Amino acid sequence: MSAVEKPSNSGFALQGIRVLDFTWIHAGPSATRILADQGAEVIKVESNNALAVVGGPSSATARGLGQRHNWNAGKRSISLDMKTSQGVAIAKRLAAVSDVVAENFSGRVMTSWGMDYESLRRVKPDLVMLSMSGFGRTGPWKDRVSYGQTLQAWSGFTELTGFPNTDPCGPASAYSDAVGGMAGAQAVLLALIHRARTGQGQWIDLSQFEALSSLLDTLVLDLSANGADSHNQRTGNRPPHDSGATHGAYRCRGDDRWVAISVHTENEWESLIGAMGHPPWTQDERFATASGRSHHSEELDALMETWTMQHSAEAVMRLLQDAGVPAGVVQTGADLAENDPHLQERGFFRQVLDGQGVSRTIEGAPYILSRTPGGPSRGAPEFGADQTYVLREILGMSDEELADCAIAGVFE
Amino acid sequence: MEQQTSGGQQPLTGIRVLDLSGPMGVYCGKLMADMGADVIKVEPPGGDPMRIMGPFIPDGANSERSLNWLHFNTNKRSITLDIADPQGAELLSKISRQAGVVLETFPPGYLDNLGLGYSHLLQGNPGLIYASLTPFGQTGPYKDFKATDLTGFAMGGYMYVTGRPDTPPTRLWGSQAYHTTSNRAFIAILLALYHRMATGEGQYIDVSMQEAVAATTEHVNTAYNYTGEPAVRCGFRHGGQFVATWRCKDGFVSITTNTQQSWDDLRDWMARDGMAGDLSSEKFNDRFILRGELSEHIEGLIQAWALTHTRQEITEWGQSRHHPWGPAVRADEILENEQLWERGYFIESEVLHPGEKMVYPGAPYKLSRSPWQLRHPAPQVGQHNREIYCGDLGLPVDELDALASQGVI
Repeated sequence: MSAVEKPSNSGFALQGIRVLDFTWIHAGPSATRILADQGAEVIKVESNNALAVVGGPSSATARGLGQRHNWNAGKRSISLDMKTSQGVAIAKRLAAVSDVVAENFSGRVMTSWGMDYESLRRVKPDLVMLSMSGFGRTGPWKDRVSYGQTLQAWSGFTELTGFPNTDPCGPASAYSDAVGGMAGAQAVLLALIHRARTGQGQWIDLSQFEALSSLLDTLVLDLSANGADSHNQRTGNRPPHDSGATHGAYRCRGDDRWVAISVHTENEWESLIGAMGHPPWTQDERFATASGRSHHSEELDALMETWTMQHSAEAVMRLLQDAGVPAGVVQTGADLAENDPHLQERGFFRQVLDGQGVSRTIEGAPYILSRTPGGPSRGAPEFGADQTYVLREILGMSDEELADCAIAGVFE
Repeated sequence: MEQQTSGGQQPLTGIRVLDLSGPMGVYCGKLMADMGADVIKVEPPGGDPMRIMGPFIPDGANSERSLNWLHFNTNKRSITLDIADPQGAELLSKISRQAGVVLETFPPGYLDNLGLGYSHLLQGNPGLIYASLTPFGQTGPYKDFKATDLTGFAMGGYMYVTGRPDTPPTRLWGSQAYHTTSNRAFIAILLALYHRMATGEGQYIDVSMQEAVAATTEHVNTAYNYTGEPAVRCGFRHGGQFVATWRCKDGFVSITTNTQQSWDDLRDWMARDGMAGDLSSEKFNDRFILRGELSEHIEGLIQAWALTHTRQEITEWGQSRHHPWGPAVRADEILENEQLWERGYFIESEVLHPGEKMVYPGAPYKLSRSPWQLRHPAPQVGQHNREIYCGDLGLPVDELDALASQGVI
């Protein structure tokens, strides 16, 4: 390793890294939350004069509030109206003392402020800049508008998700944004590693469409190799290229309660019928082989449900797990929060205090690093909570400067 | 020791990874390999089970023709080794001393019992990063539960909300619970690599598929934790009902009316087509009415109207007004995407035989200085046995042959 830069030694992997964060809504803030959890100082730039959206300054609904905390925990916030020239000037000064600048505006915004990568690298040569967008910052679609669901539709995920005999349903939520967030964090970390080795910064052009398309398994290769002979269609809960049966969600006792069961091998099938107590229908010769079970999967699923319906989803999971069959409750939000002793013991949900001292529940990181466990230390910041720290301590602005800016409405 | 090349073109150049993973981790290995790491896939003698998973290249389903294998193992090298054999375990232990990262997806305790756990491999290699990806993590009451992509998706809370109210809960297409685990694990490994650059310290990483999924649902946890009501299946609607997938003249299209302008524009267009019904009246001006008791009535009108237009008409009309509308593309249309071609996302590469060009999916993100690369296709079974066992470990060729005849390699 070159000695260009020494990251710090602590229980947080990213202590000493400062991120100037212009991102909003879901994908961007979830990327920078990952960095904040590991000790990066993430300064969220917000304005009352920007659109108030989920995760933005005013999170009007309870759900919006939850998302604000979930994706912005551990960050700092300053209010800065980027429509004012002083606001832009302050942002540039902050960029010059940051390691990472992150943004997910439409393509022209950063350029119009003189804060595109080429401009910023002049004031901070080793800057890492993350630009997240729907379709990327080049190409014929660079100005197209998209939300997560748009990208899911355009990538094929919507059409492919659901049962063959019903209309497509697509992912229930913005999987694309979650994927964009993970990809954004990866790209920044790769760039920081590259910088630590070489001293070089760089620009990351992250197309959330490309990040999402990268998860289409073998689809691209299959189309390329097999063309019209490739048959990629909705397969409900069955794996697309596998004869797996029994493989799906089965209704259990109670209101809209389900268990997912996933049987692939002959051993698992034998264990399954053993756990069910060898009901007579399991001896039906239609179900004697994997291909028979796959061929008669609808009849099989209906018969399976005559058994699962007699039990709670939790009881089916226990019975089948005891027999070595992969089975899991189709858990609701309530199950995750209240009824899952495993998540509780692992401490997946974290309680953090917000700026007013109110305890908020947020998701923890889905991994445990033994030496740098990190973790969010507090909830999302109040809008503009860190004005003093950022402007006085980091930038060293004087009372006079601050007053001038306040009068000019820079901090609205 | 691991080779440390500063100024290598890719961010992970010179970092050696032992990839012992199955389907849950194979994408994580690919991400590392595609970003420059020297990823050595350790296959059981005879080959990884993934090699016989379809789909296949048309001329036969042998172990070199699985598209599943070819996709997920780009840029990796391959050795074969029976790690359950004591000689095999000994060899793996030796190879690991030259590795910076171990990636594995065995049940908790399995590798420990073979003398290949983190505490064993750490000896003599204090910088080792050892990432274990499992369904439920290394601790807790469910740690020994078995799971697949489907049941991980269910236990993580994503399945319950996906699907229509009148269908069972539904998985996402593809192995997204596995890939999410891989994506999360890659983040954790990168954090550990960064920490190691500062301190020389490695660490152990415990990744849980259930948690990886649970942290990816967007609204499931926040909805319950902040409103007390669990989110439910909404079918073709996104949770808030401002985003929905409609059947149109030639397929399906996604229409978002999350801003007042888009809601007004949609109603205007419907009115011009004479299909707005009473939606033009003032009563429907507030877009939040879509969430209320009239939603069924409104949706009926939108659906009837959508059937009179094509995906392209609706998409272009919406995009020209800066609304995020777009077609639900069918799988067979994916290679027609001009944006992906123009940006070089699709990469044409020869696979196994000269002249046999195939299209690969490319970089998930573009780094200007240290980019993603397709350096070489997925390896053949044990393709790199000789160079790694004899070259790197210094094993005499006759010993390699002897181990091969004993079925260890």
